[in-house]
Amino acid sequence: MSRKRTLMPEFYKKKKVCTESRNKVPITDAEREEVSRVPTDTEVYLMYFKNLFPLDKFEHRLPPMVLKHQLYSLNKNRTVVDKELNDLKNKGLIKIFKIGSEFDEYAVVFTEDYRCHVTRVMAEVSVPKSIADKFVNTIVKRCNDVYVNKDTLIKEYNFKDDDITQLLKATVLTNRTVGSWWLAVPNTGMFMKSLLRGRKAILTMIKKSKYKEILKNDLEQRKLPKMCRLGLTYHLQDIIGADLILSIQTTSGQLLRLKD
Amino acid sequence: MLKFLFEREQGLLDPLNLRRAESTRRTFALELSRHRDVEMTSQGAVNSIDIDLIESRYLLSGFSDGTAAIHDVVNQTGNVKYTCKVVCKIDRHNRYKHKTSIQSVCWYPLDTGIFTTSGTDKLLKVWDTNNLIPVDEYEFSGIVYQHDLSPVATKHCLIAVGCQSSRLKLVDLKSGASSHMLKGHQSSIYCVKWSPKDEFILASGGADNRVLLWDVRSAKGAMKVLDQYNGKAPSDNTTGNTAHHGAINGLTFTSDGLHLISYGTDNCIRLWDANSGKNCLINYGNVPNDTKKLVQLSVSNGCSPDVLFIPNRSNIDMFDVYSGEKIDRLKGHYNSVNCCKFHSPTQDVYSGGNDRNILIWTPDTDSSYDDHLKTQSELHVKESSADEVRTTRPTVMIDTWSSDEDD
Repeated sequence: MSRKRTLMPEFYKKKKVCTESRNKVPITDAEREEVSRVPTDTEVYLMYFKNLFPLDKFEHRLPPMVLKHQLYSLNKNRTVVDKELNDLKNKGLIKIFKIGSEFDEYAVVFTEDYRCHVTRVMAEVSVPKSIADKFVNTIVKRCNDVYVNKDTLIKEYNFKDDDITQLLKATVLTNRTVGSWWLAVPNTGMFMKSLLRGRKAILTMIKKSKYKEILKNDLEQRKLPKMCRLGLTYHLQDIIGADLILSIQTTSGQLLRLKD
Repeated sequence: MLKFLFEREQGLLDPLNLRRAESTRRTFALELSRHRDVEMTSQGAVNSIDIDLIESRYLLSGFSDGTAAIHDVVNQTGNVKYTCKVVCKIDRHNRYKHKTSIQSVCWYPLDTGIFTTSGTDKLLKVWDTNNLIPVDEYEFSGIVYQHDLSPVATKHCLIAVGCQSSRLKLVDLKSGASSHMLKGHQSSIYCVKWSPKDEFILASGGADNRVLLWDVRSAKGAMKVLDQYNGKAPSDNTTGNTAHHGAINGLTFTSDGLHLISYGTDNCIRLWDANSGKNCLINYGNVPNDTKKLVQLSVSNGCSPDVLFIPNRSNIDMFDVYSGEKIDRLKGHYNSVNCCKFHSPTQDVYSGGNDRNILIWTPDTDSSYDDHLKTQSELHVKESSADEVRTTRPTVMIDTWSSDEDD
């Protein structure tokens, strides 16, 4: 019976009738504005992960990067996460980048962080100031896509072929197919290296424990391998979000079990 | 349920609402049928199944040994236990059968007198159901992965064929020749599907990670190349738009024809707006997909919300189409599932897999109803067994074990 009841469509379930409070005060415009300024769940999670990111370990050569699937570990409804991220992207608050060779791995960076980072890197590799400024003013500010085409670059943003070569040199663009490029974060390699190593180290730790499962509290008490530069929480959320381990709620805390 | 019936009685509720509510409840409560099964006919894996559109009564199935069979799925015996009998089949000894595996089968939408099969022997055959001989045959340059006939076509009679070459071909049944060649893909085309809403709209997906929407009236090329990022670039063939990060091997329209669902080997399912070609950004999570051939998906009809059935290794996953939430998992096959088909009049699902079985999934009914059925069928058996007693007794002595060599 229990199975049947859980699978009932919504409209067959009993709903509690919402009773209006008697002394209802109409919402003022100021209040409404205040409510609209409250960040969405996804934005809050992004801020949380941003603060987890250990900038000093990378000698400030990277902007704070958040993985898209990390958000899935905090919010079970993936569609909501995707839609809210898309809204944020269209507002121009964040940028989404394709990283790694894996299928669906994306990094999220706040536009402001990305802008600072790109300006600094371009100055380091001595890209002419004019090109760097143009890049910041056009693509960083206006373009919300994950990749750009040659046509858009040349016609819409007035880049020349030589400019594109310079941008490729600064690795703010990376090759996708003939005539189209991914937008990219320079120095992502450093991040990917530590991410993959840390992921592997933690997966090995879980694999070696009894029954290939471990309580999160126990894992936190263990000595963290040196490879995990990004911190245990950051790595754990990455692994859970990527569906590599299952996280099960038990009476003695969260249990992490390796997926077969 | 009672509330719904009461409101219907009082005329407070639209009849459609009651019908929709009940069919949704039944679809959500699917489980492996306890009373019905399908007669086994072949030694091969079930690669493709289809149910006819006219009566929703005949189940056509194509097997990996080149045979095909038609089952009658309507139970008219009055008995609860029912095995769907074979009406006719193209068996191993039929000299017209496909030499190698059948990949896809399709009923002619207007008449059960014709059906079509295609397979790895590069042939597409149009069969006369009554005589079981092919009336027409088309040869292609490569393996035919999927072909499809438009369910709503009144002005044309075209079969869309996706095969190993990068060109999508349209075969005209009237003239008996390949009438169109649609260029746009860069490698093999794994799946093709006509829109159930507009008779000229066609979707195709292939190994080049792209899903293309075609209007067969236009000679210019693909109407839209679907882009997973909803980028600003124009959605024509010049840009490198991709729909997935891996080959697409499953495509289906929702029953109203407004949305398109694609399933790729990057373990993703995506929902597209069929009119604008935009990604609807519904995340169904990770659904493992490691097959290199066609996977037949199915979408329920007349439910709210609609349910998507996706073969996932040896299970079938049920998803809410418009929210991406997983509803249930149907477990029953012993090996990977290749195809599933929703039977809308009774809300059943038929599925076939590499374990050579066709399974029926029926709505779970209450136990009291089950008891009622049991007593009914016992009575029925008692009545009919009175005169059969003498004939059945000797069978007790017969060894009921069987081996493959016997048949």
